[in-house]
Amino acid sequence: MTERSVRDLLLGTWRGRIGLGMLGLFLFLAIFGSAIAPDNPDASSLDILAKPSTDHWLGTTEQGSDVFSQLLVGTRVSLVVGFAAAAISAVLGAAVGLLGGYFGGWTDRIFDSLENWFLVIPTLPLMIVLARLLDPSLTVLIAVIGLTSWAGTGRIVRAQVLTLRERAFVERARALGASDGYIIRTHILPNTLPLIFANTVLIVAVAILSEAALAFLGLGDPARISWGTMLENAFSSGAPSAGAWWYVIPPGLCITLLVLSVSILGYLFEEYVNPRLREQQA
Amino acid sequence: MSPRWLAGKVAAALLTFAFVLVFNFFLFRVMGDPTTQLARLPRATPQEIEKLRASYGLDKPITGQFVDYAGDTLRFDLGISQRTRRSVWTEIKDALPWTLLLVGTGTVLATLIGAWLGVIAATRRGKPADDGLLGFSLFTYAAPEYWIGIILILVFAVWLPVLPAGQQMTPGEDFSSWLAQAADVAEHLVLPATAMTLMLLGQYFLIMRSSMVDVLTEDFITVKRAIGLPWDRVVRRHAVPNALLPLVTLSAIQFGAVVGGAITIETIFSWPGLGELSFTAINAKDFPVLQGTFLIFSAGVILANLLADCLYFVLDPRVQAT
Amino acid sequence: MRLRTIVAVLGAVAALIVAVTALPAGAQDDGGEKKVLKLGWGQDVQTLNPFVAQDEENFRLWALNWDLLVNFSPDDVSPAPGIAESWDVSKDKKAVTFHLLEGAKWSDGEPITSKDVKYSLETLGTNGLIFSGYTSNVTRVETPDEHTVVVHTDQPDARVIGGLFIYMIPEHVYGKSTVKELTGSYQPKLPLVGSGPFMVTEFTRGRIVKMERNPNWRGEKPNYDEIQFIKYGTTDAVIRALKLGEIDATMEVEPTAFSQVENVDGIEAVRAPSPSFTELGFNVCSKEICPDAKVNPGVQDRVVRQAVGYAVDRNRVNEISSRGTSFVGHGIVPTFYKSFYEKPAEDYAYDPDRANQMLDDAGYAREGDGLRKKGDVTLSFDLFVRSESPSDTQAAKVIAEQAREVGVEFKVQVISTDKLTELTTRKNDGVPAPDFDAFVWGWGGDPYDPSALLKLVTTSDIGGSSDSFYSNPEYDRLFKQQTGEFDPDKRKDLIRQMIELTQRDLPYLVLTEDPFLTAYRTDRVTNIERSCPKPDGDPFCQQVSYQPMLAIAPAEGGGDGGGSGAGIFVAIGVVVLGLLAFVFLRRRRGGGREPLELET
Repeated sequence: MTERSVRDLLLGTWRGRIGLGMLGLFLFLAIFGSAIAPDNPDASSLDILAKPSTDHWLGTTEQGSDVFSQLLVGTRVSLVVGFAAAAISAVLGAAVGLLGGYFGGWTDRIFDSLENWFLVIPTLPLMIVLARLLDPSLTVLIAVIGLTSWAGTGRIVRAQVLTLRERAFVERARALGASDGYIIRTHILPNTLPLIFANTVLIVAVAILSEAALAFLGLGDPARISWGTMLENAFSSGAPSAGAWWYVIPPGLCITLLVLSVSILGYLFEEYVNPRLREQQA
Repeated sequence: MSPRWLAGKVAAALLTFAFVLVFNFFLFRVMGDPTTQLARLPRATPQEIEKLRASYGLDKPITGQFVDYAGDTLRFDLGISQRTRRSVWTEIKDALPWTLLLVGTGTVLATLIGAWLGVIAATRRGKPADDGLLGFSLFTYAAPEYWIGIILILVFAVWLPVLPAGQQMTPGEDFSSWLAQAADVAEHLVLPATAMTLMLLGQYFLIMRSSMVDVLTEDFITVKRAIGLPWDRVVRRHAVPNALLPLVTLSAIQFGAVVGGAITIETIFSWPGLGELSFTAINAKDFPVLQGTFLIFSAGVILANLLADCLYFVLDPRVQAT
Repeated sequence: MRLRTIVAVLGAVAALIVAVTALPAGAQDDGGEKKVLKLGWGQDVQTLNPFVAQDEENFRLWALNWDLLVNFSPDDVSPAPGIAESWDVSKDKKAVTFHLLEGAKWSDGEPITSKDVKYSLETLGTNGLIFSGYTSNVTRVETPDEHTVVVHTDQPDARVIGGLFIYMIPEHVYGKSTVKELTGSYQPKLPLVGSGPFMVTEFTRGRIVKMERNPNWRGEKPNYDEIQFIKYGTTDAVIRALKLGEIDATMEVEPTAFSQVENVDGIEAVRAPSPSFTELGFNVCSKEICPDAKVNPGVQDRVVRQAVGYAVDRNRVNEISSRGTSFVGHGIVPTFYKSFYEKPAEDYAYDPDRANQMLDDAGYAREGDGLRKKGDVTLSFDLFVRSESPSDTQAAKVIAEQAREVGVEFKVQVISTDKLTELTTRKNDGVPAPDFDAFVWGWGGDPYDPSALLKLVTTSDIGGSSDSFYSNPEYDRLFKQQTGEFDPDKRKDLIRQMIELTQRDLPYLVLTEDPFLTAYRTDRVTNIERSCPKPDGDPFCQQVSYQPMLAIAPAEGGGDGGGSGAGIFVAIGVVVLGLLAFVFLRRRRGGGREPLELET
């Protein structure tokens, strides 16, 4: 496999272009969604579960709100939670992996057990329990998802750090009297960053799905509209039985497309990072 | 498989489970009091609320509560559901078979279909069929399983009402025989199992495909082909069994995701398994049940991982226990 | 070879299963010999134990299974003979003597005696989760003989007649267990022994509850032999079943589904008042009682609350939040209380001009942003509403919308029930310190005696159920008086005076009264009369009286509901798929026609 620059991958392959394009669109909607929404997504009316029409492009909800407006506004929550939670997960996972892998000994053993525990525990039940404990809100969701998703990153980082630790340039630096902090900062971290990044992009996809699942189960932020809460409202108000496909299909479709775009990009980054890794390990 | 290695694995599993116990307990004790809800009843005085708290044992110091909890759990006494007033263990026992039925059907079907599609894709690598299947599996992975479930309801229970939209049996029916009852359950199982299968399909497909691709490029395959064996026999007799190995362990490792899917799918289909039990317990703030289901889910995953380790070792003795 | 056989076997099994399913799986109808009333509900009961159950569904069952000491008349929901046939009030009004029915038996043949009444009032009345609190003023219960019970109270208490909402349960059944057991995991044995016309004979959790005729029932024979409550999981599954004829009726229809059902031929959808309401509650706690309360002083000014009362169109709230299925509220005693309700003199008819005038006169001037201000008090309030209730949230939004037009801002905050409870019950060193300006919530009362609802705004309830923290000594005095007033007319007048006060001070602006929404098939059920109370009450008198259930009768020629029958299509589909799979695999066998490129 020939080496390609990130730019080539993103813009040169059709996968990259589609992924980037879709993600770009969603980012745009997250920022400007509420501005371009035709109606106030919270506004209720007596026109409930109405079919799509010129007034309401995607019909109305069980409270008479405009589905299309809700869809646009809901983008923000999915993206904010997805990225923020993944960021927290990345920081945690990286920290644990770096420190454990580098220092070894008891630190490593404790961190490793912690990682194992988090990897073994079924994530959705854990997230549900935590979210229920802490009165659901946007911050709680971000914290809960971030706190339960870091173990995978931690594992990967640790493995990488273990190989790096024994490398010649690290030995040399130590011999020259460099402190641990310095070594970690200038030698180890830069070499693990691409790995962390690639992994985190995939975690974004997981985080988006997690937020949607929690919202669907009723644990989303009650004050905000998200695609997950739209599905929750649709389901609990009997929209499927009423045949209201315009309410039921779009939110799920958006989740799917967003997750797809992020996943495609994630796999691309992985493709980019892995050959280099294999190189390094040789 | 050396006894020492096995003992080590089992010990690790038990330790993990012990952590789950501790974590479980403290997590739920931090949670809000269910008795605050009673303040809304016009007739409950503060004294009555205190009495209620005492009856749930919420008035003891926390260490006392934990000791009680640990002892009870090991005796399978997981407390009493605050909603139904039956023992939590009874609730779990009643719900477990339904979850196993749903999850089992879904996993088996996903494995079989995923493997089959994986073989097809691998043997047509680079062609449209492969791309199509890849796209399809990526889509089912990205799509929330409850959304797929809702769409299934929309299509098969509302637009073409051929299948039931919820529950495990037709409400109110008296069945003439157990066969008729089994048939009714099977009919109700179709949609939820389909949702579950679609959710898991993608992973199995991808693993099988890449595993097959690896195997197909190996020397022994080229040799078999060179000596003139018919191609599909080569595929079926030699390539497939070798590619199946990672699939087997995947089932066990996927258990965590399966649990999550079970919760959401059971919720939308009102399927009376552990997932639905958890969901109603969340809304009713029924802690003993929540603690119990969380425990069972964790135990299940720990067990599945242990089995996966053993299975992998048995199937492929080349793997050294690390 | 092996794979093919497996597929063939699977396909055959699947086809067999589906074919069996496709057979009309009819319920066992004994050809019209047993008359069964089939009711559908979304969620079933969790337990039948009266000491711990809390669901509304329980009351629907218990009301048919048991009597109260004093029942309610379906005509006007006033006190009627129950286990007690008649009663006299003592001269000092501190004791009521109940003369029980003679010769009445429990469903298991045991005689109903005063021992049962005493047991129920004392044990169930003290320990039952939702039955406690009624006997707080009762000092002792005497049973001079088998058919007489004397209830003594320390003050004259009219609630003893018709206000003791405690079911009469058999002492010989429940008395066998300790209170600890009864409030623990006790599950009553079936059939559920009782004195009502029906008794629970089967309870299959998550599926069905069956009630059959009580063989020792003392009254007129019901027209139905059996009543079934069938669980459907969701309320719209219930509506579907009703439309398909799988069930005959339902006692619960969602407001959003109501308009849908109303227009279906052959189905009668009924909307009837119930003794519960949804209110806009204000934090009116005075500085003396709540020195550390976190509240905007604007909400504590009576004029502001009254202005809000005029500014909010309760009709519109009803239209939007409950699709018009609720009833407009008129004070804290709902219209359901036929014996004591009177439309308040001050009813806050929608009049935004008047609201504006009042606020202008009181010195609240509009600022640039339209909000009114006086000194450093801005009329901008936090309005809390529970996320669990979409209708409450809707109501809150309407309130916010309309109040804005008169310069009062309500910032709607959707929070969890737990959080709201926290805010309203917040204490500082044991002293109430509520942290809110206003909220939307609801209460439900007992069928006859409005004391439970009236008590909510007494001073003594602060620290208990009072979440408005209203304290008015005159109101407290009147409340005490009305509890001791046995003459219904005099009592009604006292209550009228109390309502005058609460309507003037407005700790609660009662927005709407929640309805009982029911539906039944006219081709299945007949002889339905709307009572509880007449003429426009709930046809089933759910939770209040079993009398209508005695009168309801099956209609002539009511057919039974068919099975889905569409299973046939599934059967065909599976068989076809099976065949296709068979054919496909067969072809593949034929031999290596697939060339394979090993390169990428």
